[in-house]
Amino acid sequence: MTFLPIWLRNTRSIVGLSLLLIVCGAALLAPLIAPHDPNEQDLLNTLLPPVWAEGGDAVYPFGTDSLGRDILSRLLFGARVAMTVAITASFGAMLLGGILAHVAGYFGGWVDWLIGRVIDVWLSFPPVVLSLILMVGLGSGLQNVILAIILVDWTRFCRVLRAEVMIVRRRDYVAAARLLGFSHIRTIAREVLPATLPLLITLMSLEMGVAVVVEAILSFAGMSVGTNVPAWGQMISDARQDIYISPWSLLLPAFAVFITVFGFNLLGDGLRRSLDTRLTQTERA
Amino acid sequence: MSLLEVDRLSVSLGNARGQFTVLHELTFRLEPGQVLGLVGESGAGKSMIGRTIAQLLPPKFSVSNGTLVFDGHDMLGIDPDRRRAMLGRDIAFIPQEPLAALNPVLTIGQQIREHLDHIARGKGRQPVTDWRATAIEVLTAAHLNDPAGILGKYPHQLSGGMCQRILIAMAFLSRPKLLIADEPTTALDVSVQARIIDLINEMRKAYGTAVIFITHDLRLARQICDEVLVLYAGRQVEFGPGPEVFDRPAHPYTRALQLAIPPGMTESRGLFTLPDRMPGLMALKDLTGCRFAARCPVASPKCHTHAPPDIEVTPGHLSLCHSPEKTGTITPPPAPAHRHRDPDSPVLFTARDLSRHYVTRQRLLRRPETFAAVRAASLDLAEGEFLGVVGESGSGKSTLARLLVGLEAPTSGRMTLLGRDVSGEDAETAAFRRANVQMVFQDPQSALNPRRRVGEIVTQAMEVMQSSAADRATRAAELLSEIGLSPEMAARYPSQMSGGQKQRVNIARALCNVPRLLIADEIVSGLDVSVQAQLLELLLRLRQERALSIILISHDLSVVRYLCDRVLVMYRGDVVESGEVDTVFADPQAEYTRKLLAAMPGEVALA
Repeated sequence: MTFLPIWLRNTRSIVGLSLLLIVCGAALLAPLIAPHDPNEQDLLNTLLPPVWAEGGDAVYPFGTDSLGRDILSRLLFGARVAMTVAITASFGAMLLGGILAHVAGYFGGWVDWLIGRVIDVWLSFPPVVLSLILMVGLGSGLQNVILAIILVDWTRFCRVLRAEVMIVRRRDYVAAARLLGFSHIRTIAREVLPATLPLLITLMSLEMGVAVVVEAILSFAGMSVGTNVPAWGQMISDARQDIYISPWSLLLPAFAVFITVFGFNLLGDGLRRSLDTRLTQTERA
Repeated sequence: MSLLEVDRLSVSLGNARGQFTVLHELTFRLEPGQVLGLVGESGAGKSMIGRTIAQLLPPKFSVSNGTLVFDGHDMLGIDPDRRRAMLGRDIAFIPQEPLAALNPVLTIGQQIREHLDHIARGKGRQPVTDWRATAIEVLTAAHLNDPAGILGKYPHQLSGGMCQRILIAMAFLSRPKLLIADEPTTALDVSVQARIIDLINEMRKAYGTAVIFITHDLRLARQICDEVLVLYAGRQVEFGPGPEVFDRPAHPYTRALQLAIPPGMTESRGLFTLPDRMPGLMALKDLTGCRFAARCPVASPKCHTHAPPDIEVTPGHLSLCHSPEKTGTITPPPAPAHRHRDPDSPVLFTARDLSRHYVTRQRLLRRPETFAAVRAASLDLAEGEFLGVVGESGSGKSTLARLLVGLEAPTSGRMTLLGRDVSGEDAETAAFRRANVQMVFQDPQSALNPRRRVGEIVTQAMEVMQSSAADRATRAAELLSEIGLSPEMAARYPSQMSGGQKQRVNIARALCNVPRLLIADEIVSGLDVSVQAQLLELLLRLRQERALSIILISHDLSVVRYLCDRVLVMYRGDVVESGEVDTVFADPQAEYTRKLLAAMPGEVALA
């Protein structure tokens, strides 16, 4: 596997990344590969089981829901919402948390104290309650889901990264950079950030999985995208009433959430193993 | 029968590239109460003996030949449970890093108690009930003040020297038959070193313990060892009685090690520096001749082609060399002259009454409690002068360095550089100071960004000036050749270099913008004497070529005496004495200076 970059030389990363590429592919190509319009209703064929179960129909490979909508098409389109939220929300949370972490860890003193206390207060709210409160305040909609996730989860990044920044900050090469005339910003960007980047990437991968789950919860509660846009949480919510007649329409979107989060977690774990210098050093020694 | 009999012991490393011998057919005996010194540069295989006895060889290393008999037990074939019972009871260890060897979350008392229980279990007895009394007794024997108080403390609350004394006390708790001390004083101050050596000696005499003393400092080995075994690249090159080996070495390598040590008080000579460094194991695999031939100053063509015989120079004194008699012809270069201050020489840098206080406790509505790391320190430095700052750890010498270079702002005091006041914090002053004063940091591990290439590190100062990549590459090549590294090294990462090479890169980075003054904080401590000698010669050469001034911070008085023109002695934040090196060392005025000088190891003049 020597032709691969170092962060990919790891079974976990490869499996995780493959799963995610499949989900991403589905999201990008949804309009091309979906057999039906996700909102098209076929009221004569409601609650059809998938093609491999008894009574399935090849026209609807994964079956239909209570309004006769094609589950496969809805799953494919649902991946778009999930991936949009996963990428933008975790990126936003990383940006906010990462910047504050570097400022706090690098400068220390009262800045660090202030940011630390804000995190303490923030973390004392249960995250689901906090995001529901935010959603009620902000109103429903995809942007607000993303905003809520950013506002809730930036603390994850900030706390872990701040500790790492403080360790790197104490290294003599950071002091040396200052002595050679580096400004604070340049020191952070050129000397501190490269050392914290592996952790940042790992955290981001894990955060994407969290974002998918949070989006599913919020759309399950009807606070995410509108009813005309298919989302996995919404599909689970719709299938709830008919769970005994047609378990597939609930299990399939749940499985989609599972696969995506599993992929992100595997990738995150694989990245941590290959990028974390503390782990790699002990292996190499 | 001897206590420890090692016969033709070989340790080898087997990996994908083949089998490599790390230790080659080592043979020695150790009688009760005797001290054997294992001496050599890092990588010579010194630590392998202790690891073999404890069966703690690193992965892929194994004993490939020979026997190791301790007290009648074959240690290589012994049942693991029995061996474990013997370790820590019959065989005790003293490590290099005392702080790393103690458990940070247990108090000293708890750790001593645990150890006592282990000893008692090994002897099939009930755990001791009055462990407190025993613990206080051994700590008192190790000359620790307030032993009862120490029992309740955690390792981080104690100094390195104290921790090492506690470890020695613990090692002798079980009255071991054999003690293995792996560089026990390398991480400690000189003043503490002497006391640790005395303590080991005292305990050894009291209990009749045999000691294997592993060190890279030949002078230290002479002080304490009955017999010395010099190792080079896994092979015994010389063996004999301690004083004999040091005073009349019969192998060129031993002679080179001896001459790499800065001279003591009574002699005057330069340092002999061996070229390059000890070759790696892989390079030595197919070598037919002497392993030392490539670096040997008196090698003949025969040395490169024929393996040398083990010659008995005098009874009991062995040398692995074709012509041991040539050893004596290796002579040290003359001593570098100390410069006496010329009253007309321009002043480069002055500091007046510099102080630095730290707030230790901030309390509401009261004056904060402060601690003075540096109190009213004054110094001045002429161009091209070398100033040494000495003192034990905690004396404030590193804080002083940070003040001088501008990493920290002084609480009070003034500084001038080239006649200009540089006490201020404004950008212009900072830039002026930066262009003329640079710092070389103590620990190259921490001072070099592991994610940057060497070429980038040494030209880091040019990054701010938006220099082109080509300019930087040229400058990097210049700097590397100036400090004695090949320009190809620019493409390496710090982790691919040895400790000495990293320290050179560290110096090169500070030299990039051609500063007038270099502040060097303990830059040679923890390095092998041979590497230390190379670095000291490098600094002298830089002064010759660039009229550079250096403030050298060190706890090693012999280094300061060798290199510096003037010296400043610090004790607990105060400057207690300053003046020309020769005057201060010959006739110390302050009580503390006298104490420091008395603790200097090895008042042994060389032949």
